[in-house]
Amino acid sequence: MLEPLFQGIQLFFTMDAVFAVLVGTLLGLLIGVLPGLGPLMGIILLLPITFHMEPVAGMGLLIAIYVGGSCGGAISAILVRIPGTPLAAATLLDGYPMAQKGRAKDAVGIAISASALGGVLGGIVLIFLAPLLARFALEFAPPETFALALTGLLVIALVSNEATSKGIMTGAFGLLISTIGYDQFANDLRFTFGVNGLLGGIHIVAMVVGLFAISEVIVQIKAGFFSRNPDVPWVRPSLNSALMVLSRWVNLVRSSAIGSFLGALPGAGGVVSSFTAYAIARSSSKTPEKFGTGFEDGIVATESANNATVGGSLIPTLSLGIPGDATSAVLMGALIILGFFPGPNLFEQNQDVVGGIFLAYMSANVVLFFAGIFLTPLFVACIKFKKQYLLPFITLLCVLGVFSLESSTFHLWVMLAFGIIGYVLRRYDYPLAPMVIGMVLGPIAESNFRRSLVISGNDYSFFIDRPIAATILAINLVLIIWMLCPKGWKNRLLRRV
Amino acid sequence: MTLKSKFSLGVATIAAVALAGSAAFADFPERKIQNIFPWAPGTVAHGVSQMIAEGMSERLGQPLPVVATPGAGGVKAFNTALAAPADGYTIFDGYVAPLVISPMFGRADWGCDDFTPLWSATSNAFAIAISPTEERFTDFPTFIEYLKANPGKTAYNGNGLSLPHMVSAKVLQTLDLVSRPVPYDDIELGMKDLRSGVLDWLVVNPGVYNANKDNLKILVTLSELESVQRTYDGADRALDFGIDLGISGLAPMGWNWWLVRKDTPEDRVAVLRDAMEATINDPEVRAQIEATGFVLTEYSPDQYSDVCNSARAQLESAKDAITWEEEAVKAAN
Repeated sequence: MLEPLFQGIQLFFTMDAVFAVLVGTLLGLLIGVLPGLGPLMGIILLLPITFHMEPVAGMGLLIAIYVGGSCGGAISAILVRIPGTPLAAATLLDGYPMAQKGRAKDAVGIAISASALGGVLGGIVLIFLAPLLARFALEFAPPETFALALTGLLVIALVSNEATSKGIMTGAFGLLISTIGYDQFANDLRFTFGVNGLLGGIHIVAMVVGLFAISEVIVQIKAGFFSRNPDVPWVRPSLNSALMVLSRWVNLVRSSAIGSFLGALPGAGGVVSSFTAYAIARSSSKTPEKFGTGFEDGIVATESANNATVGGSLIPTLSLGIPGDATSAVLMGALIILGFFPGPNLFEQNQDVVGGIFLAYMSANVVLFFAGIFLTPLFVACIKFKKQYLLPFITLLCVLGVFSLESSTFHLWVMLAFGIIGYVLRRYDYPLAPMVIGMVLGPIAESNFRRSLVISGNDYSFFIDRPIAATILAINLVLIIWMLCPKGWKNRLLRRV
Repeated sequence: MTLKSKFSLGVATIAAVALAGSAAFADFPERKIQNIFPWAPGTVAHGVSQMIAEGMSERLGQPLPVVATPGAGGVKAFNTALAAPADGYTIFDGYVAPLVISPMFGRADWGCDDFTPLWSATSNAFAIAISPTEERFTDFPTFIEYLKANPGKTAYNGNGLSLPHMVSAKVLQTLDLVSRPVPYDDIELGMKDLRSGVLDWLVVNPGVYNANKDNLKILVTLSELESVQRTYDGADRALDFGIDLGISGLAPMGWNWWLVRKDTPEDRVAVLRDAMEATINDPEVRAQIEATGFVLTEYSPDQYSDVCNSARAQLESAKDAITWEEEAVKAAN
């Protein structure tokens, strides 16, 4: 179990590899902060550089960007209500209200510390439970993945606070948007109206940046006070935030476990992990009403789950050659380009490389932890700018980030359209996060449902003949019944329990 | 005009044309050139295109990003590149699916000869694989026997109007076998479902094969080329069982040419061709690409029309196989 780690020491503890991890983590944080970029885009941009690096240094650089980038999006979500990446949409729920209460320093510090600690826990799972989780991941065929995606969609109701019906409506809108593009089962185009830009569907990043960032810019413009100096105190580096996270260790461990587990299942990814961890933290909290108002537990849940997902997603990627999500698919491609084919053979024939990659991942999280302590004051200082400088700068970053997706102006129009939609929805108190969940999970649920039916020859019993799928579907049914129960009945039942 | 003045004018004209030509040669490229890649970013195929782009960038002295523009089987990327001016600053990563297959199904209205080739890039050959623990069939003859006895009862990875599905459908049609094609976004996910027993067999590429050698048994390669046999560690070809797939050469493989718009100035095409030729002949680049399981095809620009049109003609015969398969699966279930 620890053998690869010992063998990897020699490959990892070189000047190049350690420096690559250090630079990669900081660069990842920066890439995550910028709206539109994110770990996936960061890795793709830097991939050609790794062609000429030693394997562990190259993979270390990319994994560190994944780790830093998965956390960086939370910083802009907290400070200016702009999730730098779709991964941070869940962190926004409590992070931004906390910053609005004058606790921006705590919110950013908690986010980075929770990310780092969640990542370390995810790394421990990666090192010790990789074979076990990989075997379990193999049990997840299309019926199980469909059932799990359905669970994720039910989370919509749980993250919508009091506006459940409005949340379901925006979630349904997200599902609808996700159907645009090419339908590989019918070999046909859906809702593309002859528009070339829609052939690949709506890009999730353009949608999220528009929905959150552009709508926020519109809100801020309407609010005025462009030349007023924001009342944000200077802050010093401190360990307080890390201690706050550690004091919530049950939530931290539980959310990291959720992140690692869901990350190991191909198809789930960080967005699902963070929203699921948030929903579970909220429903198991003694004070669920505090969630959504700037509560520490909300940030700890989403960020630790988010970064633990990175470790989890590396499990099927490295041990089975099956990527856990889009970003780990790119990491797998990088590993192949560097001359190593992921899969069982990698663990047998190249233990030193596997160990080096494990060490790079753990080290990136350690770097992230210290970056959280020392860089939080710097990040918080960003919101000291007057609106007249800050808003154009944010808009410029959004435009650059979204344009860079495919060097296409079409995505800028999409971003603007969702900015207006987001503004209108916010004005009438419709939650935006469910739309992101619907958009992410819609294609997963649909394709796996239809794939299951093709495999089984349209036999619906396929879903209940498989024990894991049947169990998850049963849990989903209980959740639906619970949500449909009148509040009075629920309270009475809870009191009896 | 005297003979002398005619001669002087002629010399002056030739000199002016030469100077103008060399000026244009020297001026191009003045800025970034982009390659429009038709699939998702970060894949091995994307990485291979980045390797070629990087080599060309070094030779041209300008950046050459490979911009992933996925959508509608590559049609979106082609439409995007066609919308750019024919000035040599936009290169099509011309994969077989958008270049040949989409027009065959009425999704696009271009043909091979609507583009000017730089050089051919790579190819990626396919094979039929099963789990090594599979007991119902252990080699290609018993595989055929089982599928014949159980029409429509087995499932494999087959993704719409694309490769390798067209090739596998053609094989099944040729052998009169019926199996349910299940669409997957990538072969790796199909690999997972083969291992979990949900799929009965799989069409794989060298990347997936190399990563899962212990969990795959190759029954037959879907190409008659010996180089493909070597890629799959000497696995049998359909030809070795006396079976003619009806398609040969590049047709049963994934492949790409780097192309530009037809009306691109010739001097610019020449600059790009020289840079690409030098890159794909660079031993370091070749070694990097071959290590990924991709094979450099090395067809020259003057072979483009023949190679592309011949592959198209052969794939036309595979087109009917998709319709045949749909009807056969319906009838069998």
